[in-house]
Amino acid sequence: MAFFSLVMLAMFPTIHANASFAKLIEAYPEALRKLFDISNYTTGPGYLRTEVFSFMAPLLITIYAILQGSDLLAGEEERRTIDLLLANPVSRRRVVMEKWLALATGVGALSVVLELLLGLIGPLFRLHLGWRQLSAEVLGTALFGLFGGTLALAWGAWTGARGAARGVAAAVTVAMYLLSALAQLVSALGSFEWASLWYHALGGDPLTTGFHYWHLGVVAMVIGVLLLAATLLFDRRDLTT
Amino acid sequence: METATDTTVDQSVAISLDHVTKIYRGGGGVYELSLDIAVGEVFGFLGPNGAGKTTTIRLILDLIRPSSGRIRVFGLDSRTDSVAIRRRVGYLPGELALYERLSARQILTHFAHLRGGLDWKKVEHYVEAFDLDVDRPVRSLSRGNRQKVGLVAAMMGDPEFLLLDEPTSGLDPLVQRTVQSEVRRAAREGRTVLLSSHVLSEVGEVADRVGLIREGRLIDIESVAQLQGHAAHLVEVRFRGPTDVQTFISLPGVLSHRVDDRSLHLEVAGDLNPIVALLARYDLEDLSIREPTLEELFMRFYGVSDG
Ligand SMILES: Nc1ncnc2c1ncn2[C@@H]1O[C@H](COP(=O)(O)OP(=O)(O)OP(=O)(O)O)[C@@H](O)[C@H]1O
Ligand SMILES: [Mg+2]
Repeated sequence: MAFFSLVMLAMFPTIHANASFAKLIEAYPEALRKLFDISNYTTGPGYLRTEVFSFMAPLLITIYAILQGSDLLAGEEERRTIDLLLANPVSRRRVVMEKWLALATGVGALSVVLELLLGLIGPLFRLHLGWRQLSAEVLGTALFGLFGGTLALAWGAWTGARGAARGVAAAVTVAMYLLSALAQLVSALGSFEWASLWYHALGGDPLTTGFHYWHLGVVAMVIGVLLLAATLLFDRRDLTT
Repeated sequence: METATDTTVDQSVAISLDHVTKIYRGGGGVYELSLDIAVGEVFGFLGPNGAGKTTTIRLILDLIRPSSGRIRVFGLDSRTDSVAIRRRVGYLPGELALYERLSARQILTHFAHLRGGLDWKKVEHYVEAFDLDVDRPVRSLSRGNRQKVGLVAAMMGDPEFLLLDEPTSGLDPLVQRTVQSEVRRAAREGRTVLLSSHVLSEVGEVADRVGLIREGRLIDIESVAQLQGHAAHLVEVRFRGPTDVQTFISLPGVLSHRVDDRSLHLEVAGDLNPIVALLARYDLEDLSIREPTLEELFMRFYGVSDG
């Protein structure tokens, strides 16, 4: 939350200087509705999107992924157990890959729980969702979280600093969320929306419109590039004493 | 798999450092280390704090990379063949850290698995030798018991090359003895050992040769016999009555002397019997005979001192 506020503050001057921000204030109630995506509040998907997916589920999964991603390599290095681990006949690349697989498995498991929870218990509360749409939303959520976790893993692989890895990944994911959310309100930001992986993962309202393969592919590709960077950077470094 | 088999590689050399330099950002490190250790040899790395022992050992394992120079272990390059090297090396870190939430058994099983599976019976030998309780979580173990976990992890595969960074730190004398006997057994079986320490007597117990390292430089390599020849005893005597200091100074083996107050300080190399016989004729208030500390040894023979 500290990072959230920080990023908000950091963005304030740019927002302030923007003429459309004045309009935003005039249109406050409507803008708020858009920011938190409460346009379809009365329908099942609309309610769920607002309450769960527009914030809570991605937030929790991303936090989990960032904590894990920063801890798996950088945490092990800070706790100095990496010396014993790498005394074994395993390459550093393999270590990074296996750490990432552990991260992906964790995120995957959480996502399955989320999907089952909403898909099975939802109807009890008169939330009738298509499995396909729900899966699309959960996959988007999982990929966005995995992106945050992989970024933290890569930063940790590069620097060995766990705290910094967390900070960077948190700042980037929050900034992407804000960019995507504000782009609904500030037309000037609209042309930059593509830079937000949140937009690619969850921006197309998958809970009503289903899978958007191209957009999901973009997120997956960024994850792949980060993982590649993590292996290369970790392979090159002196491990801290 | 086999990279450019170097025909010049001597099969009897376990490890060879060739002008290895590592300079950290702060300026510390090791400089131009060159050293060959033979297969089956026990080599002791002896040096004060910050000398560069840990740095050298971590360079061998490719945990850090040299600024220049080359390291080969069994003819394999430390940079390009690190995995193959580590398959044959058992390592005990100087600043040992273990997975706190796991038990020794879980840690050892995990590492055995990473080594492609080990016979638990082999592991059991070391567990018993070190009298280790493998089922308690590491977080509840004392410092000495943690060290035992590290030692078992390093030794359990009977590796061809044991790399032990200050293996006896934190251990009581009995367990130190166990470490020494395991090191000797490894050498008897033709395996190679490199161990570091800042205690001369400890290295002297097991090593064939000793490398003296200080401020990142290898000052000298000597056999333990040579080193112990150098290692004069320091005798400090306080007399009750008057004394003829001259008779002490002229004894064979007395390298230097110093008189202050009523105390006589002597540095005696070799046989201690003559001086003990002479001392018996006097009325002594106090007597101490000890080995020189590492620093005193460095000062005496290499003309260097701290600071
Ligand atoms: N990660 C690092 N960054 C910068 N300097 C370092 C680093 N690690 C070690 N040094 C410096 O390199 C020198 C050698 O350190 P090293 O740890 O190899 O000594 P050592 O012989 O193992 O000492 P000790 O007996 O205290 O374990 C020291 O001057 C130390 O301050
Ligand atoms: Mg050390």
